[in-house]
Amino acid sequence: MLSSLQNPRQAAAQLMNFGLILSTAFMMWKGLSVITDSPSPIVVVLSGSMEPAFQRGDLLLLWNRNLMSETNVGEIVVYNVKGKDIPIVHRVVRKFGIGPDAKLLTKGDNNAADDTELYARGQDYLNRKDIVGSVVGYMPFVGYVTIMLSEHPWLKTVMLGIMGLVVVLQRE
Amino acid sequence: MATSQEKITVYNLADLKNTTDDAIPNYLNSIGFTPSHRLTDVRLALGYSALTLAAACLAWDYKFGFDATKYLTAAAVAVYTLLNGALTLWVVYVERGTVYVGSSKKGGETVRISTETKKNVPEYFVTVEITRPDGGREEVKFARAFTEWFDGAGRFVAAPFQAMLAGSVPVIGRADPKRAAAAKAEGNEGAGAGAAAYTPEMLDALAKANVSVVGSAAEEATGAEAAAGKKGGKRRKA
Repeated sequence: MLSSLQNPRQAAAQLMNFGLILSTAFMMWKGLSVITDSPSPIVVVLSGSMEPAFQRGDLLLLWNRNLMSETNVGEIVVYNVKGKDIPIVHRVVRKFGIGPDAKLLTKGDNNAADDTELYARGQDYLNRKDIVGSVVGYMPFVGYVTIMLSEHPWLKTVMLGIMGLVVVLQRE
Repeated sequence: MATSQEKITVYNLADLKNTTDDAIPNYLNSIGFTPSHRLTDVRLALGYSALTLAAACLAWDYKFGFDATKYLTAAAVAVYTLLNGALTLWVVYVERGTVYVGSSKKGGETVRISTETKKNVPEYFVTVEITRPDGGREEVKFARAFTEWFDGAGRFVAAPFQAMLAGSVPVIGRADPKRAAAAKAEGNEGAGAGAAAYTPEMLDALAKANVSVVGSAAEEATGAEAAAGKKGGKRRKA
């Protein structure tokens, strides 16, 4: 450890290797964003409103390009509502018009009513641009870790502690 | 003597290799070799430009959002992939485990030393490429047991390691005649794996070296190991 401090090149190389791990992960995420044309190509299902299709904790892969056809009734989409920062995963149940100005109405499979309640005040429908992507794939349960971490913040402390401990023990 | 204070775990091959690798530049620079950092500098330049690009991408993404910077981000991802690919190729095909490049002040030869270890083989595989000033090239390859320069407690012992290098590579031997002579004397004794008793710690290492040489016959090996154990015990008491 000390010897690496004496040698600036070695120290720089170690710092670089650590940085490259982080930056590669980030650029892979961005690459996926670019390919899917979605700012957030992977999301975690937070509610049970789409059961039995998706459970809480499922990881969804999104696709936001309309190459072959437009976003149509029956597709499960993830959308953002102005003023709310939590993306919602629901199914498109009605569509009026075509093209970018088509009006879309969504509803959770497990909900009794459609989503007009969930939209922003005065908003009765979604536009294509509100949609982050359509669900094209999913992995059950994998995303539950992030739900646990955000709902029980003390778990983050525990994880950091364990990671710190591992680093300290490996140095010895 | 020249025993470093830090102890490593003798069962950790990566530790053995890294500690030994670190000793090579120290030794060669001390006997009048001028190090060349070109390989490392190119690697650092590639890596840090990739890092800078990723940082810039993070910054503009955070500031302007995804949709406004989509094409810039796509270009950044492409360039990042190229830079990272170039870095990987550089490390795998150009550096090839090189730990030292330097030129001798005396003869003007350039030496390039690359080392590797093989899984579960406690030996140090060294390749030395020597380029003479007239353009001639030669390559020296050898593998030596780590036990020759690590004692039982995991301390690196510089003298036998330096003698090993000076004895195996003529260019280094010429730059450090003292160590080369030491290595030669050892060779005459017929110790095979080398390692004369430079320090008390080396006795332990010598015992272990014999194990690795004779070791094909299991009985002999156990005998030598028992002897090594006894020696170790005695020393600890003393």
